Amino acid sequence: MADQIHWDDVEEGQEFSLNEPMSSQRLVVWAAASGDFYQIHYDDDFAENNNLPDIIVHGALKGMLVGRLIDEWKGDQGKIKNWGVSYRGMDPARQDLTVWGKVTKKYEDDGEALIDLDVGVAQPDGTQTTPGTATVALPKR
Amino acid sequence: MAEELEDLTDEMKAAVGQETGRSTYEVTTQGIRTFARAVGYKDSKYFDEAAAKAAGYDGGLPSPPGFLGMPIFNPSADGAGRRELFENPFQRRLDGGTEVEPIEQVYGGDVLEAISRITTLELTQSRLGKMLIQNSETVYTRQSDGQIVAKKRGTGLSY
Repeated sequence: MADQIHWDDVEEGQEFSLNEPMSSQRLVVWAAASGDFYQIHYDDDFAENNNLPDIIVHGALKGMLVGRLIDEWKGDQGKIKNWGVSYRGMDPARQDLTVWGKVTKKYEDDGEALIDLDVGVAQPDGTQTTPGTATVALPKR
Repeated sequence: MAEELEDLTDEMKAAVGQETGRSTYEVTTQGIRTFARAVGYKDSKYFDEAAAKAAGYDGGLPSPPGFLGMPIFNPSADGAGRRELFENPFQRRLDGGTEVEPIEQVYGGDVLEAISRITTLELTQSRLGKMLIQNSETVYTRQSDGQIVAKKRGTGLSY
């Protein structure tokens, strides 16, 4: 179990991230978990016939990787208020993706100690495909 | 027809706010473990009930944020529960994005009723041509106690 992060110790501008290999096997496991069996995510010939450079990482998998990033960062005593991402670009598989978060605002509202985040997914060359935001409540010391 | 569309049709305008689907989602412990594995969790609380209890989760195996089970699949009832409220002249579809609002912790064994409705429809010009942007919201309610456990909002792009 990870150490619990506290609101008091968070600073605006703080960043955290995951490095996630996106193998074809990973996408097949996600297809089983999500029920999304669209062939552009696992069938090389199908992807090529749709003019894609490779099989493509599921948008929903990227959204849930952002959810995991936030979930692990907030710890068991934190609470995700919401998170959302836009799918602005395709991510070909068989490369590592960086799932990242950055603290943009630290404040209190209605008795809760809150953190706003920018979140996203980046390709190895820095291309951002999945920008979004999140709000998390953290415990105070 | 799609490129000639200048405004939302009356059928489209009438669809805003209307229910588009109603499904039953089962949150199984196997489903939780499969989801957690696929997303890359290593934390035992999503795989082992004893570890979950030690971490303070008292309802069994907790569901990771965003996992609200799987709709019951029945090939003989394919499409049941879904309503097409308007004729969509656009042939290509893209998933534009997702927003999740977790409200209550979900556990293995929960059964959820999911009700979806269209919240906005907009016709716009994009770099891909004319595009219909549909925003929807799905509300997930736990059947055992009537508690709303989560809301998901999604954007669908047709062009």
